Amino acid sequence: MRLITHNMLQCHAKGCDPSQSYPLELKEVQLESLDAEYSEDFIRRLIPKLDWNVLVHTAFALGVAELPKELPDVQDEAFLRKVHQVALETRVKEAQMVCNGCGHVYPIKDGVPNMLLQDNEV
Amino acid sequence: MKVGNGDLGPKPLKFTMPTYLIHFAQFHMEFRLPELDSLAILEAVELRYDPAAYSNDSPFMLVEIPNDDDARKLVKRSILVKHIVRLWAESPTLEDILETIKDARELHAPYLKSSFKFIVAAFGYTIELDEQISRIERFSFLPFEGPIDLKNPDVTFAYYEDYGKPSAQEGAVREANKPKRVFFGVLLASGNRGVVTTYDLKKRKYLGTTSMDAELSLVMANQALVRLGSFVLDPFVGTGSFLMTCAHFGAFTMGADIDGRQIRGKDRRNIQSNAVQYGLTGRVLDNVVCDLAHHPWRIQPVWDAIVCDPPYGVRAGAKKIGNNPKIKPPPTVLKSNGEPRYPQTVPYEMNDVIVDLIDFAATFLVPGGRLVYWLPTVTDEYVPEDVPIHPKFKLVANSEQNFGKWARRLITMEKLRGDEELVGVDLERGAEPATAVPAHSKFRTKYFECVRGVENL
Repeated sequence: MRLITHNMLQCHAKGCDPSQSYPLELKEVQLESLDAEYSEDFIRRLIPKLDWNVLVHTAFALGVAELPKELPDVQDEAFLRKVHQVALETRVKEAQMVCNGCGHVYPIKDGVPNMLLQDNEV
Repeated sequence: MKVGNGDLGPKPLKFTMPTYLIHFAQFHMEFRLPELDSLAILEAVELRYDPAAYSNDSPFMLVEIPNDDDARKLVKRSILVKHIVRLWAESPTLEDILETIKDARELHAPYLKSSFKFIVAAFGYTIELDEQISRIERFSFLPFEGPIDLKNPDVTFAYYEDYGKPSAQEGAVREANKPKRVFFGVLLASGNRGVVTTYDLKKRKYLGTTSMDAELSLVMANQALVRLGSFVLDPFVGTGSFLMTCAHFGAFTMGADIDGRQIRGKDRRNIQSNAVQYGLTGRVLDNVVCDLAHHPWRIQPVWDAIVCDPPYGVRAGAKKIGNNPKIKPPPTVLKSNGEPRYPQTVPYEMNDVIVDLIDFAATFLVPGGRLVYWLPTVTDEYVPEDVPIHPKFKLVANSEQNFGKWARRLITMEKLRGDEELVGVDLERGAEPATAVPAHSKFRTKYFECVRGVENL
């Protein structure tokens, strides 16, 4: 699971407090990096869709990169490539993704997050 | 360039632009015009034609396009177009064509010194080689001084005869030299049919029982207006056919499926290994195990296209998470190795799948984004009103692939921009809900009742 996907996933268990269901906290993380194609157009259109705060904090917590706390007004190529590297080329291979609201644990195994709930949680 | 500018569908002929002949492949006929319309939007080409003059029974259609470059752009991604030809003449007979072009010096002028070749083809009749040569010889009066070059000519002239679709009475016997109409012009470009071979399922290393054939998967990517930098989701990803064909055209793709076994595959064959096989690892991004009915995506319009083949439960069981009273609940939610158990599931009725999918797309597509999905149905019961409509979408295309008693329909919907709810081509039905009981509801039961024995799924 790349960090772009982490940025897009939230807890969806029944009764989970919506104010606490995002972002999911990554624990026992094993990271890998992998190549993705750089597309300026894709990254420029992606940035406004990202929860920037969450990306900054996640990248920092995982020791991947230090991103500016505020989105810069001028987004030059060096910045876009950095976002590309963090969001698309950083992959969580193994981890436990934990909801801070209800404590549900979503495991990530071999890079694939399992977001299934139990039948009593839907 | 704008995506899906709302100016959809054929525009009437103006007779102010040059005329081109499109030679379609004689496959998936109902998909040909929708694909062409999508490509016109994708490539921002002004395309005009008379829909009444088009027939599924003929591979030929005349269109108006501003210039040769636009004509080439229009077909370069097309799966269902074989060739595009700048028309010199269309007529009932070869003699008329020769008469029309013999003194047309302005047509001849660019090619007086060019190397050239001729191609001759017919629909509904086989022109033998000696007949082909005698047809070509009829054009020998043209003042071309360049050499004939069969391998790499400067210009290729195309001559087509259309005998119409053979009727049952006629059988294969047609009267030679009596075509319904003939065409002559300069071959400008071929479509993109070669790419079908690249994605041929026979050569794909990881497959499932529901993998979609290459040709239609590629047509779907065109219908979805997928381009370099598009962001695409398949929420019923299976073994990932659409992730590949959409990524082929430049999209960054993601998949989701309630069945993680298909995503992970086995023996190191999986969606990711297919991406490696096709050289698409840079654009085929993540897959997530989740249930569309209880999905985990953060709410926002994020995808440019949603492309999928919803599970209709014949081979891949349609199911969603839910308490199933028939199954005794396990004592714990964790397996002995600490991993969560697979939750209990309940059947996911076809109509509910489709309604949930469209609601999902209404939330998660960007304005102007497209939902392209297959709707299975029972051929005899289907009525157009079965196709669900939604106030945030306009229906763009509905093309049938018929298997006899059942069929699947490729539905293309486009999310409206801004607040303009329900304006566009499908207004006749207004905001009324789809037919109370559409033909695709309880599709699985009907399939096994009335279609059982059909092998070709």
